[in-house]
Formats: sequence, C-alpha cells, structure tokens
Amino acid sequence: MERELQVLWAAIVAYVLGGVLAIFGVALGRRQGRVVLGLLLAGLLLHTASLALRWQRLDHGPFITLFEILSSNVWSLMLVFLIAYWRIPKIRPSAAVVMPVMFVLMGWLMLAHPGEGHFPPTYRTPWLFIHIGMAKVFLGATLVALGIAGVVLLRRYGIAEGRFAALPDDRRLDELAYRFMALALIFDTLMLITGAIWAQDAWGRYWAWDPLETWSFVTWLLLAFAIHLRVTYRPLPVRNAWMIVAVFVLAFLTFFGVPFVSESPHKGAV
Amino acid sequence: MQQPPVIDPGLQQTLASGGSTPPVFLRGAAWLGSLKLTLALLVLLVPAIVLAYNSEAWRSWPLAVPLTGLAFNLLAALTSNPAFRRQTALIVFHLALVALLLLIAAGRMSYLKGTLELTEGAWFEGGALTSTDTARWHAGDLDQVRFTNLGFTIDYAPGIRRDATRNRVGWIDERGRMRESTIGDQHPLVVEGYRFYTSFNKGFAPTFTFTPTGGKAVLGAVHLPSYPIHEYEQTREWSLPGTRRMLWILLDFDETILDPAQPSAFRMPSDYRVIVRDGAERWELRPGAAIDLPEGRLELVGLRSWMGYNVFYDWTLPWLAATAALAVLSLGWHFAGKFRRKAWDA
Ligand code: HEM
Repeated sequence: MERELQVLWAAIVAYVLGGVLAIFGVALGRRQGRVVLGLLLAGLLLHTASLALRWQRLDHGPFITLFEILSSNVWSLMLVFLIAYWRIPKIRPSAAVVMPVMFVLMGWLMLAHPGEGHFPPTYRTPWLFIHIGMAKVFLGATLVALGIAGVVLLRRYGIAEGRFAALPDDRRLDELAYRFMALALIFDTLMLITGAIWAQDAWGRYWAWDPLETWSFVTWLLLAFAIHLRVTYRPLPVRNAWMIVAVFVLAFLTFFGVPFVSESPHKGAV
Repeated sequence: MQQPPVIDPGLQQTLASGGSTPPVFLRGAAWLGSLKLTLALLVLLVPAIVLAYNSEAWRSWPLAVPLTGLAFNLLAALTSNPAFRRQTALIVFHLALVALLLLIAAGRMSYLKGTLELTEGAWFEGGALTSTDTARWHAGDLDQVRFTNLGFTIDYAPGIRRDATRNRVGWIDERGRMRESTIGDQHPLVVEGYRFYTSFNKGFAPTFTFTPTGGKAVLGAVHLPSYPIHEYEQTREWSLPGTRRMLWILLDFDETILDPAQPSAFRMPSDYRVIVRDGAERWELRPGAAIDLPEGRLELVGLRSWMGYNVFYDWTLPWLAATAALAVLSLGWHFAGKFRRKAWDA
C-alpha cells in the first residue's frame, strides 16, 4: 500500500505543478502549452501506475471506496481533459479553469481513507466497466465544456483577460463547448441505458427511483433542457456558459454527493 | 410536386402580426409543437420526479401528465417544425424517445413483481407467490412455470459480507424437458418471460413428516427467519399441516456458520437440535426423532435450506433495450453529421 500511495502522491504533485503553471501562464499572459502538457501527462502516467498497483494488490478495480472512486475519477477526468488539451491547442488556457476544479477533487482524495472495501458480487460483470466507463466519459466531456464556459465567463466579467484574450471569440468557444455538451448527452444516455441493463440483472428491476438513478435522470434532463434552450432561443454565449456550469454542478453532485449520503444499495460504492 | 404547408416559429410571428391566417389545425400544431412548450414541459417534469422519488404512490399520473405532454408536443413538432424535416437522424432519435415512453407505459400496465420462497428440493408450481404486485393487464402465464431449487452455496467474505451466490435450479422448458442451470447474483432464471432472482433472503428449514392418525404422511418444511440477518431469532410458529394446532419451532446449534474473521460459506450446521413447543410441553428433537401429538405423529427428518426469490415479468424489456440502442445511435448519428462539417480545432 505504501508504494501505491507514494506513486499517487508523486502523480498529484505533477498534476498540481502542471495546473499551477497553467494558471500562472494565464495570469501572466505566457504560453506554456508543452510544459503543462508534459507535467499533466507525467501525472497521468504515475497515477495509472498507482491505480494498477492497487488493482493488482486487491484484485479488483477502483470502484468501491470513496478513495477509489475519487482516484479513478481524477484519473479519467485528467485523461479526457488531457486529450482535449493535446488535440485542441486553442483552448489550452482553459486549464486555468479546469485545474482548480481538479484540485478540489485531489484535495478530497488526499483526505479520503485509502483502506479497502468489499467487492460486492453484483459487481462481477462487464457492465461494471461499460456503465462506469460511459459515466466517466460523460463527466469528462462536461468538464471540458466547463473549462471553455469558464473562459467565456471570466472574460465576460473581466477576470484574467491576459492569455484568455488570445482565445477564439465567444461564439466560437460557445460552439465548441456545445460539442462537448453533445458528447456529454450521448455518453450520459449510454450511462443510463447500461445502468438500467445492469440494474435489471443485479436487482431485478431496471429503474426504481433510487437516489442515484433519480439524480442522474435529472442531470440528463437538464442536459436536454440546456440543448433545447440553445436551439429555441439562441442565447448569448454567456447564458449558455452559465447553463454548462449548472449541468456540471448537478453532475458533480450526482457523482460525488449522492452516493455517499444515500442509504440505498446503489451507491456507486457498496 | 407541391410541398405540404410548413409553419415555423419565425413565420408564426409574421402571421400573428397581420398576415393571412393559416388553417386552425396548422396553428394548433405549431403551438402544440413549439419548442418553448418543450422547455416548459421539461421544467414541469422536475416536480413530478421529486414526487415520484419521494413516494411510491406518486409514480404514475404526476409523471404521466408532463410525459404525455412531451409526446404530443413532439408529435406535433414532427408535423410542423421544419428542423425535423431536414434531419432524419434527429427524427429517429425523437421518435425513439416516444417509443420508449410508450413501451414504459405498456410495461407499467402489464408487469408482475413478486417474491416466493422455495425449500431445497421443492418445486414452484401453480403460480402461488408469497407477495405480488401485479399490473392490471398482466397477461403472463405464471401457472405454467415450474422450477425446483436444487440447493445453493453462498460465500461470505470476512466481516460477514455476502459474496457470490450459486443456486442450482431445474426447470421444465417449453418442450417439457427438464433443464438445469446455476443462477445467482447477475443471473436470473428466465422461464416463460418470468425472471427469478435469488435474494439475500434465505435460511434454514427444519423438515418434518407428519402422519395424521389413520392418514397418509405429509412432508412439511418450516422456513425459519432469514439467516444471518436474524441469526438470533431462529424460531417460528408453525401450524401442523391439516390441523389447527400451532407449534413453536426453534433451531438450536452452537457452531459458528459464518465467521466474521475469515472467509466462510453458508452451510447447514452439522450438529443441531430442533426444539418444538406446544403450550407448556417442550421436546428437543434430533433428526429421526418423533413426537406423538393428539392429531398424529411428527418426525424430524432433517434440516434443509430455503431460498427467497424475487420474480419480475415485463415483456417490454428486449424492446426497451433495442429502442434505447436506436435512440443513442441516432443521437450519435445526428451529432456526427452536424459536427463533421467543421473541425473541432477550426
Ligand atoms: C427529453 C427529451 C428530449 C431530448 C433528450 C432531446 C434532445 C434533442 C437534441 C439532442 C437535439 C439536437 C440539437 C442540435 O442538433 O443541436 C434536439 C433537437 C430538437 N428537438 Fe429535442 N429532445 C427531447 C425532446 C423533444 C421534444 C418533446 C420535442 C418537441 C417539440 C423536441 C423537439 C426538437 C426539435 C424541433 C429539435 C430541432 C431543433 C433545431 O435544430 O432547430 N425535442 N433535441
């Protein structure tokens, strides 16, 4: 366990360095794309190693305890964000918005108890990976959209305009954020479908309004609402950006709030 | 070829401010199919969900109202909104949503949920359940289902945490042949569309033969409360078959079945006694021992296990899965088409 935690610490240090550098880059109006990319990638590789060590030791994936769920989500969110960061250089400064959100999750992770949990028999199915995989892509896409929306909002309210000023205009960013919201809707839909299939197998019903099901359904509806709002009223980018913040907050609460306060069997962490 | 008349929201405003008035049904369709109504109905769905979440009694009409509204809204939009005309994938996606609603509604009107308990070696037949919740138009044939519990094993991790359940079952298939398989956890037994799931509800069943004076012996099993949840209440009142005599049955053993300190498994105790009480009288029985009661002779045959099953029937399941798959594929198709035109990093 020691080794795995040391590697995790090293990963977090790399993530934090990359994030801090990205924030300074924006604040000071400098370009740091490659260094940040390198640090975040190093963090991701170390993190992967730490997860693999734990997986090997416990013989099950990081899906059970709060510690594991936070860790695997930090990993998947960093992975999705890193892909966007690498493939869409224009939006790189949005790391200054995304990384503080990640710092919150990382801080929480460092406080969580790294002890092991019981792997329930209902988790011995490929649906575990499919369902959780879809959920992770969904949240990742929402995070990238949040980063872009954050740039629009910060620019609008005159905060840290330095490097942000060089980014594409609001309309272009809005369009890009919308693409990630569309991706989020697709993967959220897949998450709900695969979750229902799994629930039918594991608990003999595909839907029962348990807290996590209900919250994720409301999140899905809010996504549909946000997308419709856009095609109906063509709101200004700033309004769309606020909508994205709302979707992210709701998704975040669904992922990291509900499972840990509810008493139902569907905790994401039993 | 002449295009059918189309009304879009922009045109609607022009019309409202003085153009010639379109036929009433077209105006109706434009209003009913308006995207603003969609937004309003989506908002209305939220309190309905809060109600459904908080109470089982509020899971039908509060949801049905906004959902029916959305279905009509959508069908009207399909006829009146030009956006749909141009985008086939979008139409397929939205139609799949309506189909999902219809299927869910059909499922809600014809499902069956229930529970039953089966002693090891006993058959489920005749369709009698311990508890049921049957929809009004349930059309399945539970009477036709026959299966038998051939015994189970359940592993427990340290801390008495339930692990894999493996339950051997035998059943009669459509051709009347006997089949066998192992169910448990993710794997229900599916017969005639009924899905039987093992549950955490299971335990010990002292088994007796009762031979009424001058009559034929019958076998009876007493399902003691679920183990290990009710570890210290392994007792139950039991009415002697065919009589009005109530006996009080208790299973007594000293050995540890499930060890909190190490991995263990659900099994029968190897050394046990069954205590039978009838008012002030009390007997301690070992397997093979018998007592004489005014109504006849009661012999303890031994100890078996019993398993509690959840039953679920919903013929819409495969259709729901297919429709949901269609919905998500067409959603992907719609966005792929839309975003392909311009690079992400343009
Ligand atoms: C909760 C269920 C619904 C979901 C998840 C949903 C989702 C979507 C999505 C993803 C789009 C594509 C937007 C785009 O291409 O940018 C869309 C467009 C559209 N939706 Fe829905 N929708 C839902 C319900 C409805 C309903 C009830 C109506 C009925 C009016 C409707 C009418 C439309 C129309 C007309 C468009 C095309 C808008 C345009 O391109 O101008 N949708 N919807």
